[in-house]
Amino acid sequence: MTSETLPYTSYLKEKTGIMSWLFTLDHKRIGLMYLYGIVAFFLVGATLGLLMRFELLNPGKDLVDPHTYNQIFTLHGVIMIFLFIIPSIPAVFGNFFLPLLLGTDDVAFPKLNLLSFWLYVLGAFFALATLIFGDGPADTGWTFYAPYSVKTGTNVTMSVLAAFILGFSSILTGLNFIVTIHRLRTPKMGFNQMPLFAWSLYATSWIQLLATPVIGITLLMIVAERMFGIGLFDPSIGGDPILYQHMFWIYSHPAVYIMALPAMGIVSEILPTFSQRTIFGYKAIAYSSMAIAFIGYFVWGHHMFTSGMSGPAAYIFSILTFLVAIPTSIKVFNWVSTLYKGSIVIEVPLLFMLAFIFNFLIGGLTGLALGALAADVHLHDTYFVVGHFHYVMFGGTGFAFFGALHYWFPKMWGKMYNKTRAYIGFAILFVGFNILYFPMLILGIQGMPRRYYDYLPEFTFLNQVSTVGSWITVTGLIIIIVNLIVSGRNGKKATDNPWNGITLEWQTKSPPPLHNFDKMPTIPERGPYDYPNAKRG
Amino acid sequence: MENNKHEHITSYKEHFSTWLALILLTFMTVFVSVFGADLRTLSVATAMLIATIKATAVAYYFMHLKYEPKIYKAMMAVVLALFAFFMIMITIDYLTR
Amino acid sequence: MNHTFVLPNSGHNFDAKASKMGMWLFLYTELLLFGGLFLVYMVYRSMYPDEFLLASFNLNVWMGTFNTVILLTSSMTIAMSITALQKGNKKLSINLMWITIAAAIGFLVIKYFEWGAKFDHGLFPGMDHFNALPTGERLYFYLYFFMTGLHGLHVIIGGIFILFVISGVKKGTVTPERYSLSENAGLYWHLVDLIWIYLFPLFYLIH
Repeated sequence: MTSETLPYTSYLKEKTGIMSWLFTLDHKRIGLMYLYGIVAFFLVGATLGLLMRFELLNPGKDLVDPHTYNQIFTLHGVIMIFLFIIPSIPAVFGNFFLPLLLGTDDVAFPKLNLLSFWLYVLGAFFALATLIFGDGPADTGWTFYAPYSVKTGTNVTMSVLAAFILGFSSILTGLNFIVTIHRLRTPKMGFNQMPLFAWSLYATSWIQLLATPVIGITLLMIVAERMFGIGLFDPSIGGDPILYQHMFWIYSHPAVYIMALPAMGIVSEILPTFSQRTIFGYKAIAYSSMAIAFIGYFVWGHHMFTSGMSGPAAYIFSILTFLVAIPTSIKVFNWVSTLYKGSIVIEVPLLFMLAFIFNFLIGGLTGLALGALAADVHLHDTYFVVGHFHYVMFGGTGFAFFGALHYWFPKMWGKMYNKTRAYIGFAILFVGFNILYFPMLILGIQGMPRRYYDYLPEFTFLNQVSTVGSWITVTGLIIIIVNLIVSGRNGKKATDNPWNGITLEWQTKSPPPLHNFDKMPTIPERGPYDYPNAKRG
Repeated sequence: MENNKHEHITSYKEHFSTWLALILLTFMTVFVSVFGADLRTLSVATAMLIATIKATAVAYYFMHLKYEPKIYKAMMAVVLALFAFFMIMITIDYLTR
Repeated sequence: MNHTFVLPNSGHNFDAKASKMGMWLFLYTELLLFGGLFLVYMVYRSMYPDEFLLASFNLNVWMGTFNTVILLTSSMTIAMSITALQKGNKKLSINLMWITIAAAIGFLVIKYFEWGAKFDHGLFPGMDHFNALPTGERLYFYLYFFMTGLHGLHVIIGGIFILFVISGVKKGTVTPERYSLSENAGLYWHLVDLIWIYLFPLFYLIH
């Protein structure tokens, strides 16, 4: 390719030594460090999940006692939510690619970016330190519901502080992205010429910024309650535990969209590239991201239908919940329409996106069943809920994360991965995933409650199917990750634009130089997805 | 990027007038509360109303919101609207339980 | 180094508007941080209006009023210090910032005496007298200590922030042309004031 003719130094080789990584201000290196941390914690979380499925292979005790099981699912939840999925796409791909997509050389506050990374490390340390300090990791579930979280002897204080610190890191990342999008777009790029991934990060950042402080203060109240007896939530010394649930979900429901929106942005990037066609309904997708972020604040009560909240409040929350389905389905229809009449090239990233749409559809539709007031009374706290959110989180965001990793892999490391192994890994993961989680939906409808280490004998068969699914899933994950690591070391050299993409990150070299662009990037005249060879109309 | 020389510089006089208004409002709210004890719920409303006027004055003049671009006011409106919604929904829950 | 080319929209440029916007966004999170506490306050006060009234008699209205005046005045001095800096009067600007810090210390000293009086009367969570109080009054004091404590923490942080600005002005990193840091410290300080404007009537002026 022509790019080989000019000598240049990539960001990977510009400076060397461990310090040049740990204290780098380069958004690409910070993104990579996040990636390594996040994938490591994903593997820890997945191991814990695997342990739980082992325990559930047969009724009764197989592996661990009930108390340990409670600690395992809490640690699994805390790690997967706060250390993997919330930072996953924004902190890795947002950091790495937002400046590239906008045609700039860094985020608005590079030092603040490094600070958020170190806060992430500190939070991770707190979360894992519960394994050593105090009386073991929390056994409350990741929701830390009062009053149990105030009374249990396990080390809730440190787990809660971990979540607080990680929340702070998340706020600063969001703040950085909002300012970056407002101030650092390349000249002539208006908001409506931004790539859709940038739009979805913008919506996500607003949620991070405005929802996270509410959980921050709520978690501090739990800490104060445990340390100083400030009894705001424990009914035995004054407070109201349902108020805790309100406060918790005011953040944690919008947080679901912190997890989902960036994934939707990834889909909106990858589909046009592999259809070689402009995205269908650019504005509809962009604005529906903002709509989801906005409506997401109004529906937290649907986690509390059975908590003792009042009837009228529950009706209102249930109705509002259904509103979220509108912008979400707008996106799905637009994605499918993007594929229509496109010149589709089947590559691994595209397959991940199609899997995303499939999984997310199941996750979203089961979500509607849970949002319906009457159905939720039956389904609340059953395995149906567990199946539902794993379809959305792992099947949706997790798949988008790995899809994005395959899509941008050549840009990040300048190497191409082994495509055959990537296909095999994807196929095994997709099949394993569905075997793992689909039985949970059925088990839930049959009435198996979540968060128990034991179950009635009639649930044995489906639980065993699910456990076998967990083994297949992990096999797929191992193949994918090993393939990427091996390819990153010995893979073939990638060209600057292997997918024939049109957004700005493909206009620079693979891997990009430290300052991203050696010449002014040019933006397509008719919008960010204006493919020159696309069939019009 | 753009230079910052066109920023509005607030005069000392304007700051002083804002301060004077805030002090007067403070004494007014104390007065209403200490000597208007029979007003009950109405006194909560007046106290909150006066506090909001004071907060607006601080934001508008001390914090320069008056001279900032519209986007800052819009963002502030979104924040306040969200908070108002949180209050409304929680109130509905507790009132109808 | 082989790239002499620098993008006009570089993230490493000094951009006063970006830093101001970042500060405002941070203030929004601070508002919602305290907002969460105000939600809790709203619920418990509407549940126990009479107990909140009784408990509030333990607070000294005049000390609260005095502290309000101190904070409002310090808000004016920090605002004026920015005006002074923008007009090029560094010395006045520094002096006004010192006055602000003195006010912050004064505020904290009064708070110290107020909290101390509560301790002396056994009105702190865990103490015998406190545990004998009815639920509503205890909730009032939980909120009182948590909210004024968190606010006090913000006063300290704000004061330290202003100290940084003072040293910046002295070292010449904060100048009449590049006053973002001073402006941001001012914004933060006003937020501290803004929160207090609500805390004051909600705890001291219940009638």
